[in-house]
Amino acid sequence: MLQGELQSPSFLPWVARHSRRLGLTCEILHADARKVVFKVDGQADLIDAFEVGCLLGPFDVWVETITRGPATSDD
Amino acid sequence: MTTAAVRNAWYPVGLLSGLSLDGKSSLLLGEEITVFGSRDGVPEVESGGRALPVVQRFGHLWTSLGYPGKDLFTIPEADHPDRTLVDVGVVRVKCSPLRAVENFLDIAHFPFVHTDILGAESHPEVRDYKVEIRDEVDEVWATKVEFYQPQAAKSAGGGITTEYMYRVPAPTCCVLYKTCPPRPGEWDVIALFVQPLTEDLCDVWPWMALFDEDSTLTELIHFQQLIFVQDRSILENQIPKRLPLDPAMETPTRADLTSVAYRRWLKRQSYTYGAQLVAE
Amino acid sequence: MAADTDARWVPIAVSADIPNGTVVPARLPTRMIAVWRAASGDLYANADRCPHRGMRLSHGFVRGQTLSCIYHGWRFGSDGACQKIPAHPAVEPPNTINCGPLPMTEANGVVWGAAVSPAVAPDQFTGHNALRSLVIAASVDAISSACKGRRVDGTIRAQLGGQNTILLMNDYGSGEVQVIALVPSGISAPNGMKVSTALEVLRRTAEGMGDAA
Repeated sequence: MLQGELQSPSFLPWVARHSRRLGLTCEILHADARKVVFKVDGQADLIDAFEVGCLLGPFDVWVETITRGPATSDD
Repeated sequence: MTTAAVRNAWYPVGLLSGLSLDGKSSLLLGEEITVFGSRDGVPEVESGGRALPVVQRFGHLWTSLGYPGKDLFTIPEADHPDRTLVDVGVVRVKCSPLRAVENFLDIAHFPFVHTDILGAESHPEVRDYKVEIRDEVDEVWATKVEFYQPQAAKSAGGGITTEYMYRVPAPTCCVLYKTCPPRPGEWDVIALFVQPLTEDLCDVWPWMALFDEDSTLTELIHFQQLIFVQDRSILENQIPKRLPLDPAMETPTRADLTSVAYRRWLKRQSYTYGAQLVAE
Repeated sequence: MAADTDARWVPIAVSADIPNGTVVPARLPTRMIAVWRAASGDLYANADRCPHRGMRLSHGFVRGQTLSCIYHGWRFGSDGACQKIPAHPAVEPPNTINCGPLPMTEANGVVWGAAVSPAVAPDQFTGHNALRSLVIAASVDAISSACKGRRVDGTIRAQLGGQNTILLMNDYGSGEVQVIALVPSGISAPNGMKVSTALEVLRRTAEGMGDAA
């Protein structure tokens, strides 16, 4: 789950492209201007790399925090 | 792209031991400056007819084109009387000043760029370490960084696992603290002070505060210069020339966390001199 | 004006300049590339940019059938796919992490590259072999003039060092042209040296003409 100033239109396609490059599957569960929740699947080290990439994101996006947890059935 | 954050920072512009009474011209953020030594011990820096603020610290002269909101950072460890202080001497590099800092923060390159000195191909793994932006001092810190090194320092006898800490106390400065073989429990200090001449050209002023009673000053300087010259061939051949603040064309991994924290910190304070805003 | 989708072969290097196990930089009209020869002798080309943090791959090293980046040792196969990330030895890199393989072919000592695979093979220039490559800071017209050559199908035919030479051109577009000189197959080494010397004279003359203009 990413939180911050995420309202740039470039953000979601940026995330999709980055997850594809890392060979991950990425499903967007929720997206608004302040919070985006993804379900990401793939090798643990590459999910780490995805998180590291998202910490920067496109220039007009500021990611404040990233919280990570195992996928739960009620989200 | 000189925002307030860029203009109001402190930058190194010379070695205190190398100043000239007649003045030496240089560049800072693309503007001409002249650096003067002084008979009464107070050096001056002038730009466009204006006297700039100056500070003498770590064997170097520092100045600013703007109005720094805070004092130049300190390195308390360096004040220990047994330390050998080493002015390495300036190296000019055709790269963005931000790339010079970021490379210094990177350890995954040790086995390949500093082969058999700072790293060995047999031990390339970078284990997890801790990175944070310490808001109370507004600095980037990486701690608990560990790496196996065949020859970690001039004072090391053979291969050891070295522990590192990295600190970015100013946008174009970085300080490395590493395990000190002759004095367990103490840290050797190696710093890089970068003077941005333009967005694509910088003067790098390395400086060290070490516990080493055996090596001569020349040997210490040569060791550090060798390492830096190996880095220079990387720095001058990275694409794009400026530091990307959007990693769309890159693939950072967990090992690159310090560099990503550095870029986040620059982005947060709108420090964009030498940076590439849109991925290309 | 060359476009990135230009599907045409460009002469970019001389085979003998790329021994087994080496990588060299080269240029297509719109991009810098890294050309490398695997241990097997097979030749490959990629964008000259590592997908990790942008270091030029032409500064890297070749081992077996792979090319590694000098910065962090990321290793790529002949299909451009990343095979190893040394800092994270347990990771199996996905082949989406890729340094962009490019079409490549070589014949009679000339190495040809393209941005997009052309439909037909390049001219083989049977009966000739590449002697050497050199970069001349002058226009193609100046070079042609300087050696009193004939323009034939995008090449220059000239008498140099007493031999009928064929000059292939790779115009960098920034005032420099890479010239790959072909000579008749089987000429002796001393005769090859004469052509080489004549090429140096050609370079000085063509560059001098630029200054006078």
